[in-house]
Amino acid sequence: MDTLDIQDHSNSWQEGRAKSITFIVTKDCQLACKYCYLVGKNTKERMSWEVAKKAIDYILDKEEEFKEESVIWDFIGGEPFLEIDLVDRICDYLKTEMYRRNHHWFNSYRFSFSTNGINYHTEKVQKFIEKNRNHLSIGITIDGTQRKHDLNRIWKTPEMEQGIAPKPEDERGSYNDVVKNIPLWLEQFPGASTKVTISSADLPYIKESVLHLYSLGIKEVNINCVFEDVWKEDDDMLFEQQLMELADAIIDRKLYEDHTCSFFMEHIGKPMNRERDNQNWCGAGMMLAVDAAGMFYPCTRFAQYSLRNKQAWIIGDIHNGIDKNKLRPFLTLDRTTQSTEECITCEVASGCAWCQGENFDAADTHTVYQRSTAICRMHKARVRANNYYWNKLFRKLELENQREEFERQKANVREPKC
Amino acid sequence: MLQYLIIILDDASVSYCHYDAPSDSPKGESLISLETLQAGIVFAMKENLNIQFVYPSYALPAEYAEVIESIDHTKIKPDAQTKEADVVVLTAWQTQKAEDVEGATCIIRTSCQELSEHQEQVKALLNKVARLNIVLTDVESFKDADADNYKSLLETLADMLTEIFKTGRMVQLNLLTDRLQLTQMNNCGAGDTTVTLAPNGKFYLCPAFYHDDPSQHVGSLEDGLDIKNRQLLRLDHAPICRHCDAFQCKRCIWMNSRLTLDANTPSHQQCMVAHLERNASRYLLAKMAEQGIRMSDTHDIPEINYLDPFTNYKQWK
Repeated sequence: MDTLDIQDHSNSWQEGRAKSITFIVTKDCQLACKYCYLVGKNTKERMSWEVAKKAIDYILDKEEEFKEESVIWDFIGGEPFLEIDLVDRICDYLKTEMYRRNHHWFNSYRFSFSTNGINYHTEKVQKFIEKNRNHLSIGITIDGTQRKHDLNRIWKTPEMEQGIAPKPEDERGSYNDVVKNIPLWLEQFPGASTKVTISSADLPYIKESVLHLYSLGIKEVNINCVFEDVWKEDDDMLFEQQLMELADAIIDRKLYEDHTCSFFMEHIGKPMNRERDNQNWCGAGMMLAVDAAGMFYPCTRFAQYSLRNKQAWIIGDIHNGIDKNKLRPFLTLDRTTQSTEECITCEVASGCAWCQGENFDAADTHTVYQRSTAICRMHKARVRANNYYWNKLFRKLELENQREEFERQKANVREPKC
Repeated sequence: MLQYLIIILDDASVSYCHYDAPSDSPKGESLISLETLQAGIVFAMKENLNIQFVYPSYALPAEYAEVIESIDHTKIKPDAQTKEADVVVLTAWQTQKAEDVEGATCIIRTSCQELSEHQEQVKALLNKVARLNIVLTDVESFKDADADNYKSLLETLADMLTEIFKTGRMVQLNLLTDRLQLTQMNNCGAGDTTVTLAPNGKFYLCPAFYHDDPSQHVGSLEDGLDIKNRQLLRLDHAPICRHCDAFQCKRCIWMNSRLTLDANTPSHQQCMVAHLERNASRYLLAKMAEQGIRMSDTHDIPEINYLDPFTNYKQWK
């Protein structure tokens, strides 16, 4: 009998035990991805060393208020590697200070990056990687096949700074500039995963894109639909069809043995108990983000450049510290209080995600307690395809007498959360 | 379910709660129009709401009195206009005449420090009024370090009340006697049980929202009431408050919106102040028991070891 080696999604570093602290080092990016939720990107808001240092000093000074056993120092943009000199200085200072203070995070930290991958090969970035290799997680975003990637992930033009969109024929995709760095990235981080975003226009390319990413050597594809209200009529049917075709391909080619796609999770699509399954989905409020102005946020999605309709939810600043009152709504959030009765009693509720920042931005009032349901039809389509996937896979395994082995080996598969 | 409509008769109508009313509004300049007043009354009649009129410090034109008297209502008036007042808002500690407040329900807005400095005046009032509502105006700036002083002040007031009760006079003081008789939350109810009509013909969750920013309206007489996310104003959608037994707390959603940015979440300050009052009510109950003083419908108040229920939030999940 063949031995199965089932991949799981549970390898997030210190999941649930680490504080995530995000430096928004720049709000600039070389790209202007069409689905990007960062509606206020700009070239002006670049973090200074003075702001970064003051933020670090504040956080490390307040050790008693940051009791998590580990920390993820997260760097985001825009594109964080545009500020590699600052990032390098921040990381050096963090290491020195955590050591000097004998801080409980010393030797229990990670530096984490979400990058578009364009500058990955540059000398400065490579030097930084070499220096911090043992404490580093880097995710490069590549969206799939070239036509899928280039559909959304296009280069920014100078005219875009003035709010002028390029003509479709002038749009320049970034696929070739990213894909060339994938082998180096996988060599340095063999277990690396990528994050794929799906908006309405991407739906026809889901299957080919996931399979393409597998062919590039990426074994873990974390993929999700955007939370914004962008979905057209029949998008759910198209989505379901794509996922079923992907399911067939993964099963027929036995890719499930050493690849994962986060769309297929065994335990999603079940009813949820009102009392027992009442946890919040999102980690906003448990995280901390700081931007170039030295403002603190419960997560980057509450900074002004992420918000279309609302003013930023600022919880303090590097000079005056964190106002804990402004964190209380986040820390007491649960599933049912923010959900409609339809969501609470939904028969396929489990695995239906939400983003607290998008909930806030789309809410009718100034609250994080109104759950956006824009994703409802897409979740239901995903659940149908997911059921198909597992029914088909289990039957195949049973017919091949591998089901028991599969059950023995599968890890505790969990949905990746932000 | 809505039960009350508060009608602010003038921008300069007296504040009877935590917010500050504008003091620079010229007399009569922002008086509600007769047409709006009449429409507001009709709205209340159709929705079965009890009306509370909030008065300015000057006498209203005679034609207003006629319209107001066309419906059963409550009058909230400043101490400059106590005639026919159901509730008198005292605008200073010593200006009221004895006959104006004798047997009345009075409200006084004060900072914690001022309250501490006017204990004799409180005592004098408690010997005259039927009920005294003390509204703290500085809850937002209350510090942990202020807790001991406020606790001590409340216990002094409880001792004062006990002495008055011994004479057979069962006066009510909101900070201390309300909790004795409550078995469930009895909060302000802004947007849930109560809505406010401002002189501009628009509805607000409470007068504070109007005075803060008139653009925060929740409908108008013309377009009807439109309270978004109204469920979040109810107790069952307030994660901290629904676990709390400081039943007398105002649960001020205006302060929530200012301090925590979410209407359903109280600030640390509001929780702490409410719990100091709750605990002082427990102290009062013990003092009354020592003196053999009985008050109808009182209930035991259990001892607790926190001043802010938020500290227990992890246990609720």
